[in-house]
Amino acid sequence: MWRLGIAEAMAYRAALLIWILTTTFPLVSLALWHSLAAAGPIGDYGRADFIAYFVAAFLIRQMTASWVVWDLASQIGSGDLSVLLMRPVHPLLHHLMSNLAALPVRLLLAAPLGVIVLIFAGELALEPGLHLLLAPVAVVLAWLLNLSVQICVACLAFWLTSSTYLFELWLGLYMVLSGYAVPTSLFPAGLAAIVRYLPFHAALGFPVELTIGRLSGPELATGFALQLLWLAVFGALALWLWRRGLRAYGAVGA
Amino acid sequence: MVPSASPAVEVRGLCKQFRVARREAGLGAALRALVRREYTQVDAVKQLSFVLGAGERVGFLGPNGAGKTTTLKMLSGLLYPSSGELRVMGHVPAERRSEFLRTISLVMGQKRQLSWDLPAVDTFEFNRVVFDIDAGDYRRRLDELVSLLAVGEVMRRPVRQLSLGERMKCELVAALLHAPQILFLDEPTIGMDVAMQLSIREFVRRYNVEHGATVILTSHYMEDVAALCPRILVIDGGQLRFDGSIEALTRRIRPLRRTSVGADEYPPAEQLAELGHVVERGAGRLVLDVEPERVPAVVQVLLALPGARELVVQDAPLEEVMRELFRREAGAERGA
Repeated sequence: MWRLGIAEAMAYRAALLIWILTTTFPLVSLALWHSLAAAGPIGDYGRADFIAYFVAAFLIRQMTASWVVWDLASQIGSGDLSVLLMRPVHPLLHHLMSNLAALPVRLLLAAPLGVIVLIFAGELALEPGLHLLLAPVAVVLAWLLNLSVQICVACLAFWLTSSTYLFELWLGLYMVLSGYAVPTSLFPAGLAAIVRYLPFHAALGFPVELTIGRLSGPELATGFALQLLWLAVFGALALWLWRRGLRAYGAVGA
Repeated sequence: MVPSASPAVEVRGLCKQFRVARREAGLGAALRALVRREYTQVDAVKQLSFVLGAGERVGFLGPNGAGKTTTLKMLSGLLYPSSGELRVMGHVPAERRSEFLRTISLVMGQKRQLSWDLPAVDTFEFNRVVFDIDAGDYRRRLDELVSLLAVGEVMRRPVRQLSLGERMKCELVAALLHAPQILFLDEPTIGMDVAMQLSIREFVRRYNVEHGATVILTSHYMEDVAALCPRILVIDGGQLRFDGSIEALTRRIRPLRRTSVGADEYPPAEQLAELGHVVERGAGRLVLDVEPERVPAVVQVLLALPGARELVVQDAPLEEVMRELFRREAGAERGA
């Protein structure tokens, strides 16, 4: 079912590579924090911790990002959604699958970049343990959470002309609050406490911290609970907006 | 074509209203629209009722914005009706159940399901999986469609490199692989040259005859509809204006028979006026519109003209019939 998606991803491999290069922001952060930490650890982050954190952030963002919001919103706006609606497969499932299909190609292009950084930066603090078994679960949940948020915003296109601007707003907050630029645990104490309950952290910071083994038992439980909670909220909202939206769908063009 | 007992399509009191945002031109109006948008209700389809038998070929005719495509989209489940009853092969289209979607197919002249940068065969293969088509059936149908439409070589090139006609042929293959019992065609020949129109038309007719699939067509090209559809529904202003054969429509709107003849010399104008209404006279050709019952007598007179040749009696062209029909409806509405 996702072979067409893979084929499309292959057909657009150049565009994909460029996109991946534009998401190397965590690697820039890495260079910055790494040199700042030369004088001594910042908070509880030493140089090796920063390397592990930002390489993980880069790779996990690669695994959990998608373009559904732009794809779906433009399909709704242009009426191209009609084509998907005529197939006996749920259009949202279609988007999910084609997103999944792009993953191997994406990782194939992104993983070497991560490895190169690790080689050059040296001293990686990654200990084997239970957290490495749980990490994939957190990544999958983060991926689904990102998809749900994107579908919610895309569905607004059933009523609004330019819904994707709203996603830019989300993305802006995500960049700051998810731990993409700075680990949220380095935020001022009061702010960190709040930020770590928000969906942004569930969508990136939590799986990253889990992967590099910085979380203890209770923190793990809270993190997973928050991920599930936010996924339930945005998943339900996405399905509700989708159903309402179809009733308003105009199937324009042709 | 013998329609079977259970109808393929049943429509009763179907309505569709759209809410359309409107504002006056200009910056002031644009700013006001930011605060408070004004909407107008547009009735795209009003109280439409008809029944189509399985295996029929039916054409929707009407001017732009008449509601043809809106009706087609409701029949195929893309649009929710505002009110009214709608059954297609026993299903409620808007529920878009999997069994329903497997029995229909929609081909839109201005939308494509083929992946732009991949060869069409990839989409065919994709549809095999999505529609869960048995491998043997798939092979057999693909071979049949590919040879009928002569796209064996074309389907292996990226879709973006295909001509409009080649692309539409591949669209038809993709649409028919799951052997739908109902085929909706929305402007399938738009923008195509006459040869390509003919070949698509011929293919659709053949497909209907050989597979017994119901075909529902909208087209701007009256020729498409006239050549393909024994039954037409004329829709205008969202309402059904006529349901029947093209011949019946022509007789009703333009009962006069168009009679033309070439001759060396024509009778004087006053004598011609007794035969019928003169449409054209000159360049070796005389064209008259004649009352049906007077045709035999008029033909005799015309054949007796010196050097009479190429006598033709036919119905008025469909384009003129439609123009007249819509003019009448518009007039009737203004009068009401």
